[in-house]
Amino acid sequence: MEETGAVAVKHPDMDRSAEDIRVKMVQLLPRLRRFAAALTGSVADGDDLVQDTVERALKNLHQWEPGTRLDNWMFRIAKNRFIDTRRSYKRSGVIAVDVPDDTPSVTGDGARAADARLMLADALDALQKLPSEQREALVLVTIEGLSYRDAADILQIPIGTLTSRIARAREALASLAPEG
Amino acid sequence: MQSEPTHEILNAFIDGELPPKEMERIAALLAERPDLDAWVRRREAMRADIKNAFSELVTAPPPTRLVQAVKGAPISWRWHLRQFTAPRIWAPAGTALALGLVIGIALHPGSDFASRNGQMMAQGALTAALNDQLASDGHAGPGPRVGISFRNRNGRYCRTFDAGAQSGLACHGDQGWVITLLAAHPQAESSGTYRMAGSEMPDIVRAAVSANIDGEPFDAAAEKAARGRGWK
Repeated sequence: MEETGAVAVKHPDMDRSAEDIRVKMVQLLPRLRRFAAALTGSVADGDDLVQDTVERALKNLHQWEPGTRLDNWMFRIAKNRFIDTRRSYKRSGVIAVDVPDDTPSVTGDGARAADARLMLADALDALQKLPSEQREALVLVTIEGLSYRDAADILQIPIGTLTSRIARAREALASLAPEG
Repeated sequence: MQSEPTHEILNAFIDGELPPKEMERIAALLAERPDLDAWVRRREAMRADIKNAFSELVTAPPPTRLVQAVKGAPISWRWHLRQFTAPRIWAPAGTALALGLVIGIALHPGSDFASRNGQMMAQGALTAALNDQLASDGHAGPGPRVGISFRNRNGRYCRTFDAGAQSGLACHGDQGWVITLLAAHPQAESSGTYRMAGSEMPDIVRAAVSANIDGEPFDAAAEKAARGRGWK
């Protein structure tokens, strides 16, 4: 830190903003994991996708416009990486509902943890039955709680397209579940 | 008689995405139409169920390997450069911001620098590094380390370097590498050792890069191609 001190003046803002961005990315990890698990169909594959996303985001950080939303930018990277790698997932038959043992559990309550795992497995399974375009749209709006505008922006599609994908995704899910 | 709302409209209602007047109209319609109301409620419940299913995942601490990836993965050097090219160079009061000021540098035969025809030139290990080293290969050994490569506004190839007690900028001229900027690292002066890989480029060198660069810094391919042309 001090080694560049005397002749050159250390720019006080520089490392701090790099550090700020890393801190923001750590805070985004839980949401990215949720999104990636929902896309890939498993927590383990989702975590691989998150790692890939984080590394790409930092490597291409110059492409992010300061002042715009870092979370939406990273969701877009994750979605694009998922599309790029999807073919290899399918080829190797990795897409499966596989909730590993290290799935987060509820502290001190094994039974509830098992329930949560089952619910997550069911949800991942159901989402995998959707075409990925519908899944992406539904996950961003329903699970991430994003506005149609933000979701359409991340997916780079018109809002009208997003709206119809959401409607079709919900109909497909409704047809899977028995009328209650 | 109002028109039957489409599935798109009802879903947008569920997601709270209709304009306020339209939200009110649908709510009023649902109060009169139990069939539509049941349709909407079922999808609202589905929405909540899916979100709940993921709640354990989003509240759990992320795996260490992901946190490590965020903390440790390299940040684009273009981003670092852009951070600096923004017009905001501040010097604390009383700090001398002297371009090219190097005091007491030894121009002996074994050093990395030589004076020739009134110019400071690279020599020895520094010349070898500037000629051959590719920053994209990630130089880890001892000796001078090359940083960013680019073309300056005169069409010359320039490269930043870190040569232990000094770092700076060299541009390739007809007689070899001309040192256009040299900045001292006070911490390194006493030992003369080369600094560790990954240490920061002095801001003053960055400033010289952004003042002289024509276009973008080279990526790995452009750097390799320029080396192939002998930096000419």
